[in-house]
Amino acid sequence: MGAVTTRPGLDVSDPWSAIEACYAQGWTDGLPVVPPTEALVDAMLAAGPWLPDHALLHEPVRDRSVTAEKAAINAVMAGCRPEYFPVVGAALLAIGDPEFMLHGPATSTGGSALMVIVNGPVRERLGVNARANLFGPGARANATIGRVLRLVLLNCLDCRPGILDKSTQGWPGKYSLCFAEEEAASPWEPLHVSRGLPPASSAVTVYAAESGHNVLSHGTSDPERLLTCFADAMAGLGSLSPGRSVIVFAPEHAAYLARAGWSRRQVQEWLYAHAWRSMADLKRGGKVEPAFFTNPSLVDWLYRDSPAGPPDPLPGPDDAEDVRREDEAVRVHRGLGPDDILLAVGGGEAGGHSAFFPSWSRGRSVPFVTKEVPI
Amino acid sequence: MIRILDPTLATAAAPATAPRAPRAATLRGATLGLLANGKSNGMALLDRIALHLQERHGVDQVVRVEKTNASAPVRDEDAELLVKRCAAVVTAIGD
Repeated sequence: MGAVTTRPGLDVSDPWSAIEACYAQGWTDGLPVVPPTEALVDAMLAAGPWLPDHALLHEPVRDRSVTAEKAAINAVMAGCRPEYFPVVGAALLAIGDPEFMLHGPATSTGGSALMVIVNGPVRERLGVNARANLFGPGARANATIGRVLRLVLLNCLDCRPGILDKSTQGWPGKYSLCFAEEEAASPWEPLHVSRGLPPASSAVTVYAAESGHNVLSHGTSDPERLLTCFADAMAGLGSLSPGRSVIVFAPEHAAYLARAGWSRRQVQEWLYAHAWRSMADLKRGGKVEPAFFTNPSLVDWLYRDSPAGPPDPLPGPDDAEDVRREDEAVRVHRGLGPDDILLAVGGGEAGGHSAFFPSWSRGRSVPFVTKEVPI
Repeated sequence: MIRILDPTLATAAAPATAPRAPRAATLRGATLGLLANGKSNGMALLDRIALHLQERHGVDQVVRVEKTNASAPVRDEDAELLVKRCAAVVTAIGD
């Protein structure tokens, strides 16, 4: 190998012992990693616009900064090709945006995955899959770009399972959850354009996601009947919260909405209006905690669409779960409004299988953040 | 031999660490800070703890600070308030 280095690391005899050494050091997510040699790391760094000591992510709660060099080491380990690095860097900048409040999704019992949606010309150039099996295995870019975020959380932010990552169960999306939008099948402008970026740009949009729900509908092309299935999934008590939603429409479902001429806004408004459960249902399901009534933002969520407003006085700790007659008429919606529902398109040409990803947390959770890929 | 690089921050430059505050010699007559992390029952738990500390250790006044969100860092002005007013601070999650 080359000249003596001062960069911290381990010296091993061959690639196979390097893989085992990474396991022994606790540097993996459970799958084997590509040994991060200096040559591979330098090639990764050279493919991005950042100097090695540029901080791509700063986590303020624990005051940890991840430099481009550390990101590049983890990107090599995840299996990325160097040309993926600008997308990796943009995704790290996005989850490091103070608005995203990474500490929660990185550590909470909720066990969220960090979703990365890729838009723009970089999708084709890197081969980020937007079509058949876009959430599943088979595409190197999808598998490895998403994996870098988890390796950075494990290796740089010390989010070790059971120690700082207290996910009660977690879910397989925590290994990697990266996919592209199938812009050609969308009835609307691409996701990143809807979020204010130029059409010619490439971008990533990040989100802290619970596990996805398949929304199966093969029986109708009527937009309201179709969307009824989505609103029903969104109103499930298990995930009902004031948090946001991501819907990824299969091309077949997207085509029905396109044919009917429904705008993005119209779909968001319809879904918000129909994704609700009665306060009585919430109480019957134990989803209203006594402490909610001492939290103004949760009181606002529970009663924001109730014409009569919150009861006066509010229920106390002892009767918060009592189902009252008037609770049947109080509609508690998922989220706080139509803007909380992010719509994208992806999947194979055949099949009426779309997806709904609830936000992590029983509270408001963290926002969507979109960043341009610097190419 | 192959050198593989360390992906962790263990060998990176350590973040600037604030010095630890001196331990309070006694809580008798002291002002106690309560920092709830923003979860639903954090302050309820801390209020119980403060009551015990008042009864058993003579804590005098209590300053309450609640983070806006469990995912967010404590606000600078709240941290300054705790530093200025309190001899000791107790924090809790209280989910």
